[in-house]
Order: sequence, then structure tokens, then C-alpha cells
Amino acid sequence: MAKLNEEGQWIILMGFIISITILILALIIAESSLVGKTTSESVLEFPKTDIQDLRSLIFQLKSNNWNDLINPDYRQDIQTLFSERKNAIVFYYNDSRILYIHYNNGITSYNEIHEEK
Amino acid sequence: MVNQNAQIYTIEGISASILMIMTAYLIISSSSVVTPQETHINDMQLEQVGHDALVVINTPREKGVQSILYECIKNDPVPHPGSNADFNNYFNQLLNSRTFSENDTLHFKIQLYYRDRISGEIQPPIDFTSDNTAYLRDDAVKVTQWVKMGNDAIDPDLRDKIILVEALIWRS
Repeated sequence: MAKLNEEGQWIILMGFIISITILILALIIAESSLVGKTTSESVLEFPKTDIQDLRSLIFQLKSNNWNDLINPDYRQDIQTLFSERKNAIVFYYNDSRILYIHYNNGITSYNEIHEEK
Repeated sequence: MVNQNAQIYTIEGISASILMIMTAYLIISSSSVVTPQETHINDMQLEQVGHDALVVINTPREKGVQSILYECIKNDPVPHPGSNADFNNYFNQLLNSRTFSENDTLHFKIQLYYRDRISGEIQPPIDFTSDNTAYLRDDAVKVTQWVKMGNDAIDPDLRDKIILVEALIWRS
């Protein structure tokens, strides 16, 4: 029986190490193309600025001694524009000095009860 | 006597280690690889910048006065020429000025939406202003602000209404 040839073991070992290293680095590159995707998608989907702007507008209406807040024309403007341009249903009303704000775009809903002292 | 065997293996080992270290350095130094299909990150940042600029221009500078946006819409003549120089000056500066580098290249087109009181329908949008750059289907974001117009607007259609200011913003 011929004797097993034991030469060139270092070369084979180096070949293993290099190929495994390249594999790991390729995995890292493949993963890195997705960096920030989920984060930025959820940031874009969440209607933070819509809710902030709606609150800001309603509080602006309230500032004029609540008169603009009960104006049905303004309420209809806001509701129609929100449903047709911003894909959201909004509603607000007041019970004496308690203000209710509702916002819903099918994914995110926001409800607020603001009581003025 | 120094053994002179296996010199080529030593060289191979050293060059392989240098190669690996170089590759690792390149990967770590480029913190993220953004592929051309991945625009969410840019969109997110653009939306924040655009909304911030629009909020700034829609905020009164002091008590008892109206915001720049309100004044520009109020004074826009009928029929709307589609370009408001005052607004463009302010908005361009807010959008494009940067601290330590030359100006950014953001462009915008702004439309006004309002509801007709008699029919109850949203009217076709008014082309309020743009920076006269054609929109060539670049990646764009839409940001909005609300303005409560008073009775002093030049355009009678906009008087005493709540209008939606929609800005399309893109980088080219």
C-alpha cells in the first residue's frame, strides 16, 4: 500500500481559511445593503408630522376663544382635505372646555383628550 | 544555520493576511452600502428637511403678525402666476443652505388645495410656486402644511378657508 502523501498541508489549510473568510465577508456585504431599510420604512410610514400639524391647526382654531373650533365650515374643510389628500379620517369636537381630537389612517390611530384649565 | 525551506508559503501567508485585513478595513470604513434601489433612507431625511423648512416658513415671527407663508399666499395675484418670488427666496434659502459646504440642490413645486363651500368638493389645485426646474421623475417626497386664511386674501376663492399647502421636493 502506497504511503499517504503528507505534503502541501499548509497550502490546503490556507485555502480553507481564505475561502471561509471570503464567504463571511460576502455575507456582511449582502447584509449591509439592507442597513436602515426597516428603520426608514417605519419612520416614513408613521404619520408623525400629520398628527403634529393637525394638533397645531386645531389649537390655532381654539386660540380664538373657541369660536373657530365650532365653525362647521372649517371642520368640513379639514375633514375633506384630510380624507382626499392625506388618506386619513379626522374628527374633533369640544365639550365645553374639553377638546377631543381623533386621527386614523388605517394603520395608526391617535386620540387625544385635552382639558383646558 | 537558518532553514530556507517553504519561503513561498510564508509569502503566501503574509499576502493573504494583508488581503484579509485590507478587505475588513474597507468594509468597516464604509459604514453602510446603499444600493440604488434603496431610497427610503434618503426619502426619510428629505421629508424631515422639507417639513422643517415648511414649518419654519409657516410660523409667525412674533405675536400679532402672520407667517411668511400666509403673507405670500395672501398677496399672490389672481390668476396665480405659478411663481412667487418672495416665497422662493425664503424657501430656497431654508432648503438649500448648508453650513460648511456649498448649497444643496433641492427643488420644489408647491400647490394649494382648498374646498369649495358651495359644491363641497376639493377644487383643482392652484399652482402656487416652483423654482422653475422641470420635474423629471426623480425620487420626490411630499410634505404639507395647513394655513387658515383670513378675509384679506387677494384671491376670493381662498378667503376664510383652511387650505392645504402641498410641497413636492426632490434632489437633482
